[in-house]
Amino acid sequence: MPVGADLVLNEEPDPEAARNHGATLGRVIEKTARRWNTPLAIPLMDLRLEKNDLLARIGINRAEAEKFQFNAPIDKSRLGILCEKRVAFACPGSVARDQALDYIATLPDLVPVGMAIGPFSLATRLMADPITAAAMAGRGIAATDSDDVELLFQCLRIAEAAVHRSLRSQMAHGARAIMICEPAANIAFLSPRQIHSGSDVFDRLVMQPNLRVKSVLAEAGCDLIFHDCGELIDLMVEEFAQRLHPVILSLGSSRWLWQDARLIPKDVVLYGNLPTKSFYSDGAMPVEEVMRRTEELLAKMKECGHPHILGSECDVLYVPEARDAILKKVDAMMAVAAPEELLVKAEG
Amino acid sequence: MRLFPAPEADLTNGRGLPARFAAICRVSARGERMAEGNQLFEAIVNGNAKQAHAAVETALAGGAAPMALIQQFMVPAMEEVGRLFEAEEYFVPELLLSGRAMKSAMELLKPLLSASGQKMKIRVIVGTVKGDLHDIGKNIVASMLEGGGFEVIDLGTDVSPESFVAAVKERSPQVVCMSALLTVTMPAMKLTIDALKSAGVRTQVKVLVGGAPVTQQYANEIGADGYSENANGAVGLVKNLFAGEAA
Repeated sequence: MPVGADLVLNEEPDPEAARNHGATLGRVIEKTARRWNTPLAIPLMDLRLEKNDLLARIGINRAEAEKFQFNAPIDKSRLGILCEKRVAFACPGSVARDQALDYIATLPDLVPVGMAIGPFSLATRLMADPITAAAMAGRGIAATDSDDVELLFQCLRIAEAAVHRSLRSQMAHGARAIMICEPAANIAFLSPRQIHSGSDVFDRLVMQPNLRVKSVLAEAGCDLIFHDCGELIDLMVEEFAQRLHPVILSLGSSRWLWQDARLIPKDVVLYGNLPTKSFYSDGAMPVEEVMRRTEELLAKMKECGHPHILGSECDVLYVPEARDAILKKVDAMMAVAAPEELLVKAEG
Repeated sequence: MRLFPAPEADLTNGRGLPARFAAICRVSARGERMAEGNQLFEAIVNGNAKQAHAAVETALAGGAAPMALIQQFMVPAMEEVGRLFEAEEYFVPELLLSGRAMKSAMELLKPLLSASGQKMKIRVIVGTVKGDLHDIGKNIVASMLEGGGFEVIDLGTDVSPESFVAAVKERSPQVVCMSALLTVTMPAMKLTIDALKSAGVRTQVKVLVGGAPVTQQYANEIGADGYSENANGAVGLVKNLFAGEAA
């Protein structure tokens, strides 16, 4: 199955209205799951929602929120407001997401799945230069010695609070599993050089906040689906699989899943990871190559014996100029996965 | 090649400068030994902004020429950083730390260059295309280009084709670098190139494109002059395009 709600959303007469309308969005998510024959009702991967809701608390509206970045340490009173536990969403997309969960929860054959950006990835969106700040933290520079490092840890703190609010709300609306997306937890943001030299930067910035996310979910009996399509080193994959121990681990196309299987407990299902970000281009990714890669992935995963769900490396975004090219390849991927079933449907 | 040969070690201390730079570091503009140049080189390679700033201050106090510091120590230092990146000994965070050190040194030198009427020969405009707010890749390219000795004008993110055209007309760059992270925003690259053509300024500039979903084939399709998959490659591309017109 692809993470394909965006493709289906854009079949609506007014996609932007549908995105912000709970009942319509719920039907889009249902339609997405049924189209690709999966019980997992995976919603839109809209990673802007938590940032919008967070910044609304200090009077920054949705139009400004996307570009907004803190450029100096945040004062205590604002920090207090941003870290408050009380759930109050200002963003229509968040309200619609929760209402869509209400709808999916009424369907007995589908599993309501929630979605949220991970704390570290959200923190990186709240400041202009998170990489340098993370690198400085990785060198042991303390928050007290650098405004950049101080801001990074403040952003991480408020990001974590925002993610927890989002999770609690989605669980209250029926989410039985939540996909946490941490695309920024990768080797562009966190130096393998530092990590391999013994720095605890990856643990402090990524693992600890996500372990707390896992605890929040576990306390409510909600499963963790962990997604990171960034470029990773083995140690990161191991940490995600073994310490976070999600029910599903979704990785980007830079990873060879059959090789990663050796790093991953058997009770963690691997999801992915066809290079769907390239599907827009027939030149870069012809349909024959999609089929070849799908066949190879399925065969290798069967050979290594690790539980696997065939899917996309990330959400499959709708691109107006390339809609047909993308859909053709998603269909080709799915046809390789289930040729008999599709054949029966075609004959029927 | 070991992937992580000397984690977090000072790449120059203990091992000395690479031979080709050691020679440079012995001679100042006045022919004197110039330990500050060595320190400046090391500070940039090691990404130590405070040390880079201090080394430039000391060098200037000792009578070093600003352009000589840039060309003899700072540009070679960033070239060494690029080499380490290509060798997978450095990663993006190290590039940015070195870029920050370079910037810290340049802050002292830029006013002096302006005052003396000196300027970089190649001017580059960089920006993330309309509809796209991602700036990290673009920032890394800008930092590496600056480190490569080029004058960089950063237009920011969500830059419309009209803004690119206006900047080309006003600032007369030789190069325009466009970045896009999303498949949905990539088409804005073609729109920008079309806008440059319509405004009659396309032939004045070389257009380079990059970003996660961008490929050489896409660059060819939209009529760009070049594509690079990373920031270091972008520096090499600009250098090759203007070989003989050193920065």
